[in-house]
This record gives sequence, C-alpha cells and structure tokens, in this order.
Amino acid sequence: MHTESGSKPSPVDPDFVRSRLARAFRGTLVWYGFLALPLFLIMVFVAYPTAIAFRDSFFTETPQGPEFAGLYHFGRLFSSGVFWGALGNTILLGVAFLGLTIPLATIFASMLNRLRRGSTPLKVIYFLPQLTSSVAVAIMFNYVFQPDWGLLNGTLRSLGVEQVPLWLSDPRLSLGGSRAAVTLLAVWAGLGYFIIIILAGLQSIPNDLYDAAAIDGASPVQAWWYVTLPSLRPTFVFLLITGSIDALSRFGDLWTLGGPGGAPARSLQSVVMFMFQAGFESNDYSLAAATAVVFFVIVLAITLVAFRGFLRSEFRAIK
Amino acid sequence: MSSADEAVPVIATKPQVRMQLPRDWRSQTGMAIVLIFGATVMLVPFFWMIATSLSRKANSSMPRVPTLWPADPSLFNYWVATANLPIVKLYINSLFIVGTTTLGYLLFSSIAGYAFAKGRFPGKTFLFIVFLATLFIPFETRMIPLYLFVRDLHLNNTYWALILPFLAGGFGTFLMRQTISTIPDDLIDAARIDGASEFRIFWSIVLPLCKPTLATLAIINVIWRWNDVLWPLLVTSSRDLYTVTQGLALAGKSSGVYVGVALATAVMAILPVIVAYLFLQRYVIRSVVSSGVKG
Repeated sequence: MHTESGSKPSPVDPDFVRSRLARAFRGTLVWYGFLALPLFLIMVFVAYPTAIAFRDSFFTETPQGPEFAGLYHFGRLFSSGVFWGALGNTILLGVAFLGLTIPLATIFASMLNRLRRGSTPLKVIYFLPQLTSSVAVAIMFNYVFQPDWGLLNGTLRSLGVEQVPLWLSDPRLSLGGSRAAVTLLAVWAGLGYFIIIILAGLQSIPNDLYDAAAIDGASPVQAWWYVTLPSLRPTFVFLLITGSIDALSRFGDLWTLGGPGGAPARSLQSVVMFMFQAGFESNDYSLAAATAVVFFVIVLAITLVAFRGFLRSEFRAIK
Repeated sequence: MSSADEAVPVIATKPQVRMQLPRDWRSQTGMAIVLIFGATVMLVPFFWMIATSLSRKANSSMPRVPTLWPADPSLFNYWVATANLPIVKLYINSLFIVGTTTLGYLLFSSIAGYAFAKGRFPGKTFLFIVFLATLFIPFETRMIPLYLFVRDLHLNNTYWALILPFLAGGFGTFLMRQTISTIPDDLIDAARIDGASEFRIFWSIVLPLCKPTLATLAIINVIWRWNDVLWPLLVTSSRDLYTVTQGLALAGKSSGVYVGVALATAVMAILPVIVAYLFLQRYVIRSVVSSGVKG
C-alpha cells in the first residue's frame, strides 16, 4: 500500500527499464540476506527445541529408539499428585501475589503521582529490588524469615509479638507459613515494577476528566474511585496478563529457597521446578516434555485472550 | 462556545485556591509519611544484609534483636567469600556473556526489524508471523530439549552455550520493527537514489535514528541476561564459566550456615548492579515503562 510509492529508482535513469527485473531480484535478495542469520538462530534455538518438546511428550525413549506412546505421558502427568500440587502452588502463589500487589501498587502509585516533591527518589527506591536478581533476593530473605533471629521475627518480637511465625520452616498453608513468606518476598521484590507501570498509566489520564469531576463536585477520593480506577483498566489488564505469565514461570527464588523439590514438604514447588526435577533429577524427559506442553498451552491461552487485539492490529500493520 | 469560555476560568480557579489551603498540606504530609514508610520497608532488608555481611560473629551467633550496624565491623566475611568463589572471574564471565548477547541481540533484532519494516519481498508476512510466534513460546517450554541439543553439539560447558541461544528473539525484532516503521520512507528512498546500499542505509541512517529504542532494548536485555540463573545452571558445571548470579546461587546453598559469608557473597553480586542502576535510573525506569517489560 503506502510502501508501493517508495523505493522506485529514478525513472530518468536510462538503465532503469532494462535492469528492472535484475534489480527487483537483487532488491529482494538483500532482505533475505538481512533475515538469514536471525531466522537461522530462531529456527535452531527456538523453533526446533519447541518442536522437540512436543514430539518428546508423545514418545518414550527406549534403547531401540523413540517409541510412540500417544497420550501415555500426559496420563502419567495428570495422575501425578506431585504435578497437581506444583500447579496448585503456582496458581495459589500467583493469585496471592497479584491480589496483594496490584491494589497496593495502585495506592502507592496514586500517592506518588500526587506528591509534589520527592517522588523521583521514592520511585527509584521502590524499583530497587527489581534490579536485584531473584537469587540474591531469595538468599537475603532466607535470613529475613529465619524464625529465631531473622529481621522480620526480630522486629516483631521487639514490637511485643511473642508468638512469632515459623515462616519458611512451616509447610502448612497458613499466614505464617512458607507460602506466605514467599508471597511477602514476591510483593517486596515486584511492587516497584507494578508502581511504575501504573504511574505511567496515571500520567496518561487526561486532565479534562478530573476537571469534569471537580465541576460535578467530586471529592479527591471520589475522583480517584470514579475517574482514576476505571481509566486504569487497560493498565490493570496488562499487569494481570504479564503478571500471570511471570507467576506461572516462577523458578529462581523458590529454587534457591527450597531446591527443585520446593522444600519444606514440596510446599514451594512450582510447575517449572516440577519440570526441572522430572527432567534433570529423574531423567524422565518425556514427563518433563509433557509438563512443558501443558505449561505452553496454559501460557498461550492467557496470551491469546489478552493479546487478540494486539495481534489483530499487528497483522493489519504488516500486510 | 463563548459561554463555555467564560465559565472555564471561574471553575478552574476553585481547585487552585484549594491547593494552597492547609488541608492539601496535610494530605501531602500524610502521603509522604506512608510513602517514606514504604520506602523504608524496601531499604531495610538491604541495610540489614550489608550490616550482617560486615559482622564476623554473624557466622556463629546472630543477635536476637536485628541491628543495622554490626557490633564488630570487619571485612572477614568478604575475605572468606572471595576465597571460596573467584568473584572477579565470575564478573568477567558475566560481563562477557551479557555484553556479547546484548550486542548480538541489538544487531540481529534491528536488522530483522529493518527488513520487516521497510523491505518488500515474498513471504514477508509469513516470516514475520514466525518471529512473532516466538514471543509466545516461554523459555521454560523449550528449556529441556534445548539443553539436550546443546549437549549433543558438545557445547555445554562453553561460552557458546550461554551466548548462542540468546542472540535473536521475537521481542527485539518486534520492538525494532515498530520503531523503524516510524522512519519516513522518503528518507530511505533519498539515500537509495544517492546510491547507498541497503546495508549502508541500515547502518548509517536507520540505526542512528533508533538510538532510544536500542538503549531500551539494551537495558532490558542486560537485566534479563545478568539475572538469568536457570539456563547457566543447566549448561555449565565448571566454576570457570559461572556467571555472577549462578555463582551466588550455588555459594548461597553451600554456605547457608555461614550467614555472614553468604550475605557478603550476595552483597558482592548485587552492589555493582545497584550502583550502575543509581547512575542510570532515569533510563532504566523509562526503558521498563516504554517496553512494558520488566527486567
């Protein structure tokens, strides 16, 4: 369409007509040349392993070579209590994390947005844990949650709390257990990212809306509730989607705290850790591949629902 | 229209007057207190970690009441940590791997992005779908076959295993295509008429115009690669190839009992990143906001 008008050589060039075909051919080759290496890398390191993951999930490795196994490995996977435990953990931790972080980040971002002085250094501080690798955060928080002398329980004790939680040593599903601890860790580490994304959303809300609310006599809190929050809807959707996918892929911090088994008592095992353990500890590549396929399908479903608008506009743009 | 024009100033002055009233002063103070409390919660674990890493006694007995200043300041833990872990070598490894992957990622993303934005050739839509599809394949899905593939090529325990899989990707290509699409075709046509080759146009005209996006992509990629731990753990088992994050993950496990040493290792692993962040914070935050991708 609009590209049609461009890239024609000057018609005054006498060689133009004669060499048009040759030029067109060479002009096309250049683009394939540009794409050759990136495409090769993507085929070899992304497409090929993905295809193999799908293939492996339907085959069993035998000394005589791969043997077709149908849905056998998926059957094993879905009848494994450990898998459901890991999936349940991953979902529970993800829901708890997003349920706490999004409201908290919205409140903090709204305040940062209205604060007239000093919001920049505060923003920098809130974002700081995001720059720290999940491994370092986990090592730090392993000690923060130490029951006897850890930073958290020590602080609670000096505030007069006698019955301090056991945190990471307690595998039970409770507010002072291991899952609560890693949720606090995740909120601490992830809050800054959510705050700056919501801040960007807040700054894109047109002032007219607030003027209109002020004319209608809305108080600042009413304006926040009836103008700010509805206007942030696209931001919330974006954060829910990317946050869900990140939560599903959670690995580094939980692995550092509890090993691939998610100690204590598998209370911290995530889906990716289950896959890691099946593949690299049990050498059960078929089961790991089946897990990878299920993981892929879940992530794809979330992504497609979220990005159908984005994909539609992308394909319109390229044609 | 004229009545509306008259009405606006009357109403608009109202909130302005209210802004100067003490009520707003109070809400500003209230918000500042909440925000500073939040920032303190963010910072205290870091300070506690540094204080503990400077205490030799932390390895045998920790104070029951946490302190933010060590009773016995010493660099003993750092001395032990550097003896246990070749931290300088780890830094060289990480810098080398992050540097090469980032340069490669920028080059391949922008050259593919240029082809998709300005090129005209058969199969463009199909190839773009192939690139875009990789956005929807989580790394974890292909992790194990990729590991087996790298192992079969005898590339495990080499730098290649840490570099090659991360040189090209859908995200960078997509972001660069989007940026390059905004460059007017006239500019590129003018260069073509002057006889510039496509690569020269790409290198001397397109790339310089993409500097902000390239910076964004570089920052995001550096954060990704620096903090990655899953892949290095899989493909390298030789200490000579450890990255900083990987070394920290393994040292943190083995020195778990020695709190001071473990935390000294952690401080050495994250302090340079934090210092770099404090200098570049404006660009880092802008990159994360503009791409929507977190580090």
